[in-house]
Formats: sequence, C-alpha cells, structure tokens
Amino acid sequence: MRTLTALIVVVLLVPGAWAAPAASRGEVLYRQGLLPTGEPLRGTREADVNVEGAAAACVSCHRRSGLGSQEGRYIIPPIIGRYLFRPGLRNIEDMNVPHVEGYRPNRSAYTDETLARAIRDGIDADGRELNYLMPRFKLDDAAMKDLIAYLRQLTSQPVPGVTEDTLHFATIITPDTDPAKRQAMLSVLEQFFADKNSFIRGGHRTMHASREIMYRVTRQWKLHVWELNGPPETWEQQLHERLTAEPVFAVISGLGGKTWAPVHRFCEHEGVPCLLPNIDLPVVAENDFYPVYFSKGILLEAQLISRQIREMESRPRKVTQIFRRGDIGEDAAAAVRSSLLPEGMQVQDIALPESGLPQMVGSVLKDNSAGSVVVLWLRPGDLAALPEALPQVPSVFISGLMGGLEHSPVPTSWREAAHMSYPFDLPDQRRIRMNFPSIWFKVHNIPVVDERMQSDTYLACGILAETLAEMLDSFVRDYLVERVEIMLSHRVITGYYPRLGLAPGQRFASKGGYMVKLAGKEGNRLVADSNWIVP
Amino acid sequence: MRPIRTMLGIALAFGMAGAPAAYAGDEMHMGMNMDMSHMDMSGGAGTGPHAHHHHMEQQKVTRMTADYSVPQIRLVRDDNRTVSLPDEMNDGRPVILNFIYTACTAVCPVTSRTFEQLQDMLGNDRDKVHMISITIDPEQDTPERLSAYARKYDAKSQWRFYTGSSEAILAAQRAFDVYHGDKMNHAPVTLLRAAPGQSWLRIDGFASADELLGEYRKLVHAP
Ligand code: HEC
Repeated sequence: MRTLTALIVVVLLVPGAWAAPAASRGEVLYRQGLLPTGEPLRGTREADVNVEGAAAACVSCHRRSGLGSQEGRYIIPPIIGRYLFRPGLRNIEDMNVPHVEGYRPNRSAYTDETLARAIRDGIDADGRELNYLMPRFKLDDAAMKDLIAYLRQLTSQPVPGVTEDTLHFATIITPDTDPAKRQAMLSVLEQFFADKNSFIRGGHRTMHASREIMYRVTRQWKLHVWELNGPPETWEQQLHERLTAEPVFAVISGLGGKTWAPVHRFCEHEGVPCLLPNIDLPVVAENDFYPVYFSKGILLEAQLISRQIREMESRPRKVTQIFRRGDIGEDAAAAVRSSLLPEGMQVQDIALPESGLPQMVGSVLKDNSAGSVVVLWLRPGDLAALPEALPQVPSVFISGLMGGLEHSPVPTSWREAAHMSYPFDLPDQRRIRMNFPSIWFKVHNIPVVDERMQSDTYLACGILAETLAEMLDSFVRDYLVERVEIMLSHRVITGYYPRLGLAPGQRFASKGGYMVKLAGKEGNRLVADSNWIVP
Repeated sequence: MRPIRTMLGIALAFGMAGAPAAYAGDEMHMGMNMDMSHMDMSGGAGTGPHAHHHHMEQQKVTRMTADYSVPQIRLVRDDNRTVSLPDEMNDGRPVILNFIYTACTAVCPVTSRTFEQLQDMLGNDRDKVHMISITIDPEQDTPERLSAYARKYDAKSQWRFYTGSSEAILAAQRAFDVYHGDKMNHAPVTLLRAAPGQSWLRIDGFASADELLGEYRKLVHAP
C-alpha cells in the first residue's frame, strides 16, 4: 500500500499569494481563452457552431483541475499530462493517477505531435475522431507549445495536507466570534471527525483490495483549529503561517463576525477549498473559485427586504434603518441603502453605539420613525427591549438572522405586525430533513446551542465526506471544489435549506428566502408572509 | 402521465432501411445502450450548405414524436412578465423549444448558438415561429440574467427565455421528459410542435440548425 500511495507526497507548495508568478501564457489560454498575442482563442465545429474567447477556453469543459466532467451523456475526459502521455487506464485500480469519471480506458499515449493534432484537428492518439462537442482549435506552434507545457504540469503538484495515513483539515475562527457559538461548532466538527475515525478503526477492512476500500480505511481525518487573534489586517498572514506549519487539504466550516474578507482572500490566494456553511456576512465575489458559502446570509436578507420595500403598494418615501455600529447589520443596511436610493427613496441610517443600553432603541425609534418604513438590524437583546407599543409607521422589517428567527423576543404587539426576513426553509417544511442532524446530536450528546449553525456545520461535514468518498483517492483541491458543485445539487438532506445548488460562477448554494410573521402572542410559531423569494 | 412515443419513419426519411428501432427513454440519457438508440441524421437530413459534411461520432441525433401535455404553469419571461406556459405555447405560432441554463459551459453554448443560426436561417419566416428556451436553473437565472443571455445570442423578438419557481420549472422538465435529477446532467433536446393539439417532434442530440430548419419546414408544411 505504501508504494501505491507514494505519489501523494506531502510538500507545501510555495503558495501563489506570496510569490505570485504571473499567470503563464498556457494558463491564460486554458483558463481565459486568450492567445499569447492577446487575441481570443477560436474553436470551430461542424456547421459553424464556433466558440471564441472565454467560451472556447479549455476550462469551460475540462474544468480548472483539468480532470474533466460530464454533462448529460457527454463525457469530458481529463486532459492533464499525467493522463495524456500514458496509455489510457485499463481499470480503476491503477493508483498512479487520480481516478476520475471521464478517463478514456483504451487510448494509446499521446506525443506532443499527436496531442497537437487532437487539439487542432480533433484526431486522438489512435486516429479516432473526437466528438462534436470538442472544438477544433486554431493555434500556431508557439501557442501550442505554451498550452502543452501547461497541460504537462497541470494538477500534478504534490497535494498538501494529504499523507499516507492522514487527511488534514482546518476550521477557522476569528476573534470576534461568540464563544458559545465557537464551542457549539467545534463540538459538531470534533464529533464528526471522531465518528469518521472510529469507523476506520472499526474493522471495516475487507479482503477486497478495491481502490474504494483502500481509500476508506487508510486515512484518518485530522482537524486543526485555527483561531485568529489581533486586528483583521494581520489575519491573512496568520493563516498563511498556520498553513505553512500545518498543511491542510481543505478548510471545513469557520465562524466569524463582521470581518470575513481576510479569510476569503486567504482561501482564494492559497488555493485552499473552503466550505463555509456559517458565515453570516460573506464576501460576494462569485468568480472566485475556492470559498464556497451556503448562503449570502445577511446580504441575502438585505436583498429580500429591499425588494419588499420596492414592491410595497404605496411606495414609502422614507426608510429608517437601525443597527449597532460594528455589527453585521451595518453592512446589510448599506446594501439596502444602495438598492433604495436610486429608487428615489430617502434612507436614514441610525448607528447605535457598539454597546449601550438596549432601551435606547425605543427612544431612537420614537424620535426618528414618523412616516417612515423601519428596518431593524438588531440582535435579540435589543429586540427584547423594544417598547411594547408598536410605532405608527407604514411597515416594520426585522432581520431574522440577527434577531433570532422564530425565537426572536420581540414584544407581543410587534409579533404579527413586523415582517421578518427568513432566508431558510420554513420550520414545518424542514422538519423531516432536520431529523438527521437532530438524531445525530442526540445520539452523541451534543448540546444544541444554535440549531441552525450546528446543523449547517454537520451538513457541510457530510457534503465533504461524501464528496471525498466519491472521488476515491483523487485528492486534488480544484477537483474537490468541482465535485462539491455537483454533489450539492444532488443532496436530498439539505438541513435548513429547501435546496442547494452551485455551478461555475455560483458560490452561494441557497439563493432565496421567505418573508414571515411571528404568530400568536408568544412562542416560536411563525406564518409565511410570502412564497419562496429569490431576490 | 407517460407520453406515448412512436418512431416516425426514420428509415424512410434517411434511407436507412432496417435501422434498429430506438425508443429514447430515460435510459438513453443515463449513458446506457447509446449505440443502439441513435440515428445519424447528418448523412442527409439537412438541406443547407453544411449537409454534406461527414458525420462526427457523437453528432448523433434521434427523432421521435411524442404527445406531451403542456403543464398549466406560470413562468416569468425575460421581460419580467409573468405568463402562462400554455398561453405562450398556444399563441398561434409553431413552437421550437429547448432547455438551457446560463451557467452551463459545455452543452448550452452549442444549442444556443444553433438556435441563433436557426433564427438567421428562418429569414422572413422568423416571426412566424415562437422559439422558447426554458432555464433549468431557475433560482440563478433571473429574468435579468436571461435577457443578458438573450443579447449574447442576439435573440430577436420571436425567441424568448423563461424562468419561474423551482416547482414550475420542475413541472416543465417533467412534462417534456427532460428531467435528469439536476442541471449538470442535462442533455441537448429540441422539441418542435406545429400547432396546439398536435404531437411534438422530439430531437435528442446536437441537431444542426440546418437539420432543425428542415424538420421545422416539414412539420409546418405537413398536410
Ligand atoms: C465545449 C467543450 C470543450 C472545450 C471548450 C474543450 N474541450 Fe477538449 N474535449 C471535449 C470533449 C467532450 C472531449 C471528448 C471527445 C471524445 O471523447 O470524443 C474532449 C477531448 C479532448 C482531448 C482528448 C483527450 C483524450 O483522452 O483523448 C484533448 C487532448 C482535449 N480535449 C483538449 C482540449 C484543449 C487543450 C482545450 C482548450 C484549448 C479543449 N479541449 C477545449 C470538450 C471540450
């Protein structure tokens, strides 16, 4: 077994962010569809169904990893050098190259010449004509040389965080994380990893030397908890140092407060897949590849609320938003503001001090809200201290995510009047899906402190485990992200979300939410005030 | 409801007497029995300048008729109007329908480019047809995204794009038997219908614009 896995060496590559080499000409051609001359790459097909530039770029079909994919019945084969320059794999047990779905079993090895012919004329190493979907590319010799050089090294670097017997993962916690939440998340992660490893020791080895079984029994999962400290400007460097000291294959979950951008940048610059289920204020940069979020969080709520306000029957002239300085509501309020200002509405933002008596919310409201729609980006402590009497305003909106969802402690008179954004599936509809995490928490005696956050964490672990199992031992970071994209859309167990889905250029898996009202005088019942809205 | 499928005289149309009968059911999309279930149309069905090209291995296309019933759903058109799918399809024009999504990078650029070519080839007949592209990624493909996509393929007023709730889009895919579990799994399919109440002609595979034009002309001129 040692020899079989010998190729997976554990050496940390010089990470891109810190020694950023200019993208090679071959990479630009592969990923962006631009020739070394700066002109767009052109691919032709029969009947003039041609492609150009980004649409012709190899990445759009063979993917960033070069390991290919599948669309419908069209199999898109891997085209990294390690496949092309050796005869096609005969079977899945061949451990020298990562196993991928689309490998072509019986093809002869390519040479530089036959590879150029495949790319230009669509004739493979054995003289077979490649199918219609694969364009024929016009490339001069210099560009062809760049491209082939790129394919030769693509996805053949050693993979950090994978040793012969261990798969290393990290979770990232920023200093402004609520300590109770931190503990709640870690309890789920640690238990999941323990489960995973006890399964390995549990004697599931069989006599079958199949590749699948070998993968499953040989590596245990190890979790590294990366707790950041100090000011956000230093976080990226801290993470870089942690990664150098303890190479990990991927980041699973994390918790933060108002600032997440340094972590997002770290994932993207270092090329580490980051599966991030619990970030309430993520970075919106969907063309970045490595950070994957479950939802746009509070920014999704800002979109939901803006849309409700824009569509009110009698359009309000004025909107007043209240938030605490330094909390995530500040960013949500800014998003609402920039969406409503162009509509000719007046937007008044009131930033309360970072900490201060909750009672002040009442007087601020009284002084400022006349005739105005009110949006509250406030935590339960502030909501509980709202005055019992509802102010005379056209409409009140509350962030469900910040305010505690159905457990929000707003005074009775507000319950049925205020509109709450609810970027999750409704409790009744998610009940059955939630059985899985709930039972798992119970069996393992994990205290449920924050049901949503903990079940999202559990869900992310499940997605990671399933994706890796399905990849067998193809430990390639880019491929992990590509497979997660596909895996997410297949999931039936989606926890708090009605469905999840990703694609290239999509990095928020759940895309909508409800508007709800709390029902009755107290308790945690709510009623939907809208259909599922994708703003 | 399962649509009734019959193979239309393929042997006759393409001079391939004795061709194996092909029932292109779901299994075809699962990658099983592919060789048995495909006819090569590029050998002579086309009428335009490209019809003489020698065929490529997987440019294999099957055609069949099927009686799909149009589901009673409401969709949102690329101009942000909510419309009824039956009304859109029964507006008096023949319908040419496909399913796409804007984040799709391999298959859809081919089928959308083919629609663009078909639109050009239709020339003056263009406005007599209603070309319909329904997204299978409704939560991502907002009307705004769809209209940007429409511009990319220079879609004129006879070619409209539709999105809707996940439930409605699922119903549409099921009704036309193109649902394969998720968007990554979708395969190229074009559906044509001459008039309400008539059967649909279903074409699986990458049919060229020539071939689609030929099929369309045959369909609308059929006695
Ligand atoms: C629109 C999708 C698409 C794009 C873009 C594309 N390919 Fe392909 N490619 C395919 C498909 C599908 C196949 C499989 C063809 C077959 O098996 O008949 C393929 C096959 C190949 C093969 C043959 C692999 C083998 O095992 O024989 C090579 C090499 C290849 N592509 C290189 C490239 C390069 C280089 C680029 C960019 C310049 C590129 N492709 C862009 C779809 C694409």
